[in-house]
Amino acid sequence: MNETVVNNRDYVPLPPPDAEILTTACSYCIVACSYKVYRWPVGREGGQAADQNAFGVEFPTFGAPWVARSQHNIGMHEGRPHHFVIIADADAEVVNPNGNYSVRGGTLAQKIYNPDTPTRDRLKYPQIRIGGILTPVSWDLVTDVMADISQYILSEYGEHAWGMKTYSYEYFENTYAISKLVNRGVGTPVYAPHDKPQAAEDAAGLDDAGINSFAASYEDWGSCDVAFLSGVDPYETKTVLFTEWMMGGANPGKQMIFVTPHRTMGVEYGIRNGGLWLPIIPGTDTALHLALAKIIIDNGWQDREFIDNWVNNRWEIESGYGRGTRNTRWQWRTTWGRWQSDWEDFQEFIANEPAAELEEAARITGLPAEDIRRAAEMIARPREDGTRPKTSFMLEKGNYWSNNYMNTASLASLGLMCGAGNRPGQVISRGGGHQRGGMSAGGGRGWLSPEKHPGRRKKALNVDRWVMDGNVRFMWTIGLTWFPAMLASQELASRVADMTVRNPNQPRSVDRDHLFEVFKERVDSGGMVLVDSDIYPVEPLNTQYADIVLPAAGWGEVDFARCNAERRLRLYAKFNDAPGEAKPDWWAIGQFAQKMGYEGFEWEESNDIFEEAARFSRTGVLSYNVLVREAQREGKTGHEKLRELGTTGIQTPIRMVDGQMVGTQRLHDPSNDWGEIEGDTFDRKWLYAFGTHTGKANMLKTPWTNDSWSDFYEAIKPRAEKGEIWITNGRVNETWQSGFDDLRKPYLAKRWPWPHIVIHPDDAAPHGIESGDLVEGYNDTVYVQTGEPVGVLDGDLSFSRLMENGHIRTTEGQFVAVAIVSDEMRPGVAKAAFNYPGSMANSVCHAVPDPVSGNYRYKLGRGVLRRIGESAYKDNFLEMSLKPRPIMS
Amino acid sequence: MTQKAKAEGVGQKHPCSAVSRRQFLILGGASVAVLATYGTGAGAQQLVSSSYVRTVVGKVSELVPGEATTFLYPNDDVENVLVMLGEEAGGGVGEGRNIVAFNTICPHMGGYMGAADFHAEHSVLGPCPLHLSTFDLTKHGMIVSGHAVESLPQIVLEIDGDDIVATGVMGLFYGYNQNPSGEA
Ligand code: SF4
Ligand code: FES
Repeated sequence: MNETVVNNRDYVPLPPPDAEILTTACSYCIVACSYKVYRWPVGREGGQAADQNAFGVEFPTFGAPWVARSQHNIGMHEGRPHHFVIIADADAEVVNPNGNYSVRGGTLAQKIYNPDTPTRDRLKYPQIRIGGILTPVSWDLVTDVMADISQYILSEYGEHAWGMKTYSYEYFENTYAISKLVNRGVGTPVYAPHDKPQAAEDAAGLDDAGINSFAASYEDWGSCDVAFLSGVDPYETKTVLFTEWMMGGANPGKQMIFVTPHRTMGVEYGIRNGGLWLPIIPGTDTALHLALAKIIIDNGWQDREFIDNWVNNRWEIESGYGRGTRNTRWQWRTTWGRWQSDWEDFQEFIANEPAAELEEAARITGLPAEDIRRAAEMIARPREDGTRPKTSFMLEKGNYWSNNYMNTASLASLGLMCGAGNRPGQVISRGGGHQRGGMSAGGGRGWLSPEKHPGRRKKALNVDRWVMDGNVRFMWTIGLTWFPAMLASQELASRVADMTVRNPNQPRSVDRDHLFEVFKERVDSGGMVLVDSDIYPVEPLNTQYADIVLPAAGWGEVDFARCNAERRLRLYAKFNDAPGEAKPDWWAIGQFAQKMGYEGFEWEESNDIFEEAARFSRTGVLSYNVLVREAQREGKTGHEKLRELGTTGIQTPIRMVDGQMVGTQRLHDPSNDWGEIEGDTFDRKWLYAFGTHTGKANMLKTPWTNDSWSDFYEAIKPRAEKGEIWITNGRVNETWQSGFDDLRKPYLAKRWPWPHIVIHPDDAAPHGIESGDLVEGYNDTVYVQTGEPVGVLDGDLSFSRLMENGHIRTTEGQFVAVAIVSDEMRPGVAKAAFNYPGSMANSVCHAVPDPVSGNYRYKLGRGVLRRIGESAYKDNFLEMSLKPRPIMS
Repeated sequence: MTQKAKAEGVGQKHPCSAVSRRQFLILGGASVAVLATYGTGAGAQQLVSSSYVRTVVGKVSELVPGEATTFLYPNDDVENVLVMLGEEAGGGVGEGRNIVAFNTICPHMGGYMGAADFHAEHSVLGPCPLHLSTFDLTKHGMIVSGHAVESLPQIVLEIDGDDIVATGVMGLFYGYNQNPSGEA
């Protein structure tokens, strides 16, 4: 078996004509390409003639379908060994037409559990740490112990001492179960998704403008004339969206503007095809957006008609029916909407904003003034015949994980004035990270959060800080790395270690009463019991710290459903057996919840949850209630009905129109106004207008200097006197998954066996750093916010006020990576691989959130570089290419 | 039609649709030679080569450093590039261990990368015209940036006097489930 997977052979087995074919979608990035799984028992193989294989084509094929060796594996199905071939669906009509794929999805077959491959380390049994060693136990015991200690903690310390942090994306069935447990079972506000310290919006500036972060469809990125790509190269992280829709699509001649300090391959392609690279100084996007807005207004290039029709004027913005705009999250987080604006007011703001002046913006952003001017012309200048370029605006982490609120709000205003937001080829959307598998059970306990915005307004709890401050006694993490993904990573990991493995109360046997007694003493002494669910060992979270480790069953091992960036819902079919006693996370939650005495957790299969959750999806953009009701009418299960839709699926919200299920291509688009409401369709205004009280978008002012940003930015800039540079972080194509499945896939593990850091030659030379050297990034001043400050007055949560009031602690952080010295970086900015276990680049970033949105500024690390020595890859021919990424003729 | 002609001839976005296919004679039971083993236990990986024809594909004296030429191997359907790199390479032959040969068809979806797509400065082949994959010719054709789930197939070379002799293949050619061996 291992030969077929690992060895570099010149042969691959073909599926015979009677191989079973199942449909699924990719497990990885938000694009969610369509895939087919071919399954047949070990013992025979198909042949090269068209009638001898399941594809019905003759080999060699010279085109899709073709099977690379890494697309075949052996796994178990109903307890018997089977061949599996997993390839992109060559018949796909949507997402990845003709079977395009990336290196990640292309190697999905290697994710299959096969003990002859590196997947042999899959977690197979529940385990409890006894005397430091993880020891296998039964599901029954482990859930008993979890319930025993949870009940004690809830009665003794209350719901604020019981927390969870979990993936937000790993299928509706699991996330709904998590949400039901957190909100309706335990009823705690101590919950955060994997990528954030708190449960709140990613790109709050978009939300406050009335724009849903995933309003666009892939066709919009294909048909636009100009794509303004803020803090993202989709080639690296949304690969098929780029290679299929952006390099192709309805308008392959589109121009792309990339705002990122890293010139990756997509950026290089853009430059060579009439586009522009704006290698911005990290965190300064707001100033760029302001300057672009000023050039557009000064030249009268704005889309007047669109603004008149779709942007709230002064009277509209103040109109309220009962709630009005006053009592909204927007107004709470911005202290009564102090940045609220309308077109007249916005022009006045821009005219008086110093950072909007071209020369000043060029100074702040480090971009040539003429490039800013050129970008303004590209996105907004009407052509000679008076028509406008169709410009779409994409944002991702480089934008919203730096100056979170202001960057997103200023991009929204910029996009709106260019006429984008709700029309074909003219959209404002996130590109996306993980797929969209989050489904809430409602009933959130956010109001129990001890944190408050100024004015004592509701603000989500920062769970990491709450843990570090010693307030959590029971923590259950599911499917995340936690420390490397968050900031001041080493500090966070060290605090968790203090409260778990370094606490003197450690179990010595697997006796239920003993375990309860020890854990009780643990939590009474200020410690914490940590449970982690995952499919693999995760360093150091479950390998070193967790008391209880639960084995999960995931992609391909259970029937699941979720959406992609264009809200396309598909069934992800079960096709092989999970190893050992690995169970889906919803099952583990059900067992635990039942032992806690909570009702409504008696699910037997994942479809039970899919159907139950449908009702809760109704009001949201991922609504599939219509599909489930339709299935019931036809006497089918919801999953069955979805399976019938194959790799095409259907775009949510799903509506009933003329008795047919109809998907929604684009949100906010007035052409979605379908008149009479039918069947179980739920009418929401944001379907055909913007998500505000009037249906028109809000213009937001974003002064570069403000009390939620400026003092923080001054404090965290690289200090020239110390020889520091920016050390930002991000993902590249082949290791987008940050060493999770990647490191279990032999080919990808060879490509990136260890995380890298890309350094400009000017920054490498003073330290004698060459490609292939091991380099340490070190920051001697990493700020960490402590306590749970309550905002009363404006500016109470500003960095300087927090510092004054003793809520900022100074720590240090470092990581080690393999250098790639290349002029693809902006000088003065190095970029490290994000979220790599064993090399936590986020250790040099500050755990001080944007006080407006609560989001961390993940991309704003700094530090000095130090050469450690040569890595194992410097002069080795088998692993880790050290070549630059953008190479073009 | 050759592998190259087919990949080129079918249009950039849809490499397979209009292809007329031809039966290839594949030798069953080819013996396997291990070229190198690295790692231990079940995770050990081997670079192996079936028994292929030996074919003279160039002369050392005629190679121009930094310039790629093409040759057919193991049969007339499969085109490859031959280059003398400016640095030592995995599988490189000759005095500088820098003479290497690779298949011209991108193992992602069959794009064609010929001699003109060789970048001497970085010892890289590509980017592939279809989706921009690049391949590191110093590291057995490993993907640098892109989508291929396998390295670019490498042609195993030997030096015999002034002759450069191809003796085998590492990797599976795009489109094939079994490489042709070149034996009649
Ligand atoms: S682009 Fe994304 S969804 Fe498509 S194959 Fe790659 S990782 Fe999977
Ligand atoms: S065919 Fe897709 S990158 Fe070469």
